[in-house]
Amino acid sequence: MSAATIHADIAALLPRLRRFARSITYNAEDGDDLVQVAVERALTRSEQWEAGTRLDSWIFRIMKNAWIDEVRSRIRRDQVFAPEESGEHVGDNFAEAHQQRLAIQKAISLLSDDHRIVIGLVLVDGLPYKEAAEVLEIPMGTLTSRLARAREALQGLLSDQARTVA
Amino acid sequence: MRFTEEIIMAYADGELDDSTRFEVELAMRQDPALAEKIRQHQLLRSNVFAAFAGTLSEELPQRLHVATRGGNVIHLDNVRQLRTPLPPLPAPRKQGWSWPEWGALAAMLVVGVLAGGLGSQGLGSGAQLAVFDADSGAVKAEGKLAQALSAQLASAAPANAHVKLGVSFVAKDGNYCRSFMLPKMAGLACRSGDAWHIPVMASAAEGSPGAYRQASSAMPAAVLDAIDERIAGKALDANAERAAATQGWQR
Repeated sequence: MSAATIHADIAALLPRLRRFARSITYNAEDGDDLVQVAVERALTRSEQWEAGTRLDSWIFRIMKNAWIDEVRSRIRRDQVFAPEESGEHVGDNFAEAHQQRLAIQKAISLLSDDHRIVIGLVLVDGLPYKEAAEVLEIPMGTLTSRLARAREALQGLLSDQARTVA
Repeated sequence: MRFTEEIIMAYADGELDDSTRFEVELAMRQDPALAEKIRQHQLLRSNVFAAFAGTLSEELPQRLHVATRGGNVIHLDNVRQLRTPLPPLPAPRKQGWSWPEWGALAAMLVVGVLAGGLGSQGLGSGAQLAVFDADSGAVKAEGKLAQALSAQLASAAPANAHVKLGVSFVAKDGNYCRSFMLPKMAGLACRSGDAWHIPVMASAAEGSPGAYRQASSAMPAAVLDAIDERIAGKALDANAERAAATQGWQR
């Protein structure tokens, strides 16, 4: 793949990279920081990408590593979920859907890094298990058990939230 | 038949092979509890997906467009590498300024002359390069330093320039910043209105008389740290630097 093509292909992946980043960082700015660091790393090491393998998986792996070893240490976690979202329009379908999205984002932010990343890959991005396992460099069995635990933890947090609200 | 939690999850995620999927579907018809479990997994999956789907349709920030262009711009990594010159010197000494040193600098600036101490050969005897502005509490570039910051391009520096410009970039607060090098000092200047404020300055690496010629490689760690803290995206390339200068470093 020529240099020009890899630049264009990475540019085309940006919306997905941002969505994944949003699920593992805590706010939009941090998510974009993570994407930026990952894109820069990917471009400086583009010769390490093996043609014929999935470019998206390769960049997700770079993002995961960048998050663990660099970006998470400088996040603005205190700026996460602004409280102004609480319901002025309770009963309104749109507002309810919005509340639900926030509740889920909040619950995901409370998961461990491992759990949040696996949820981000499989449920947010929709990667097949095989690709998600490759991104994380773990065997399939580890992936599925980690994913099952992550879902259980997430479901638990959502149930707790529901009880608190009710 | 009882299925493990992982099989149930894999069914909801569409990950089972045909025969196992068929078994699960058969079992679901006779086992409402299993059917409900699967429904819960599918619901969670679709809710989590929906919670982040909006990100896809957001407008992309400019800095990410810029990042994907890469290649022809100066990489921050390259700047960082300059911090560890090869071969490594014994015990890397951080050259940042402590508060007392800043105090000393401020005192010098209040006097208003920032000349000999900074090694201003060729800048004019007694040339004033910066003042400590009591109103803003900032050190402001003056004279030839201010002129160089506004007009001189790193990519097209006159051979005999006494102020050398390093990297120029957009800071997180949206203003332009430029690193600069004087014969014995290096610093960072950031645009504030029509002025250049100098948030950090440090003595340049001591070395042979030739060191000044390799200005960029002698950039003190304190200045590089200040760049790291502020930079949003990458350093400007030659075209962007020229465009910014043409606009008077206003955004």
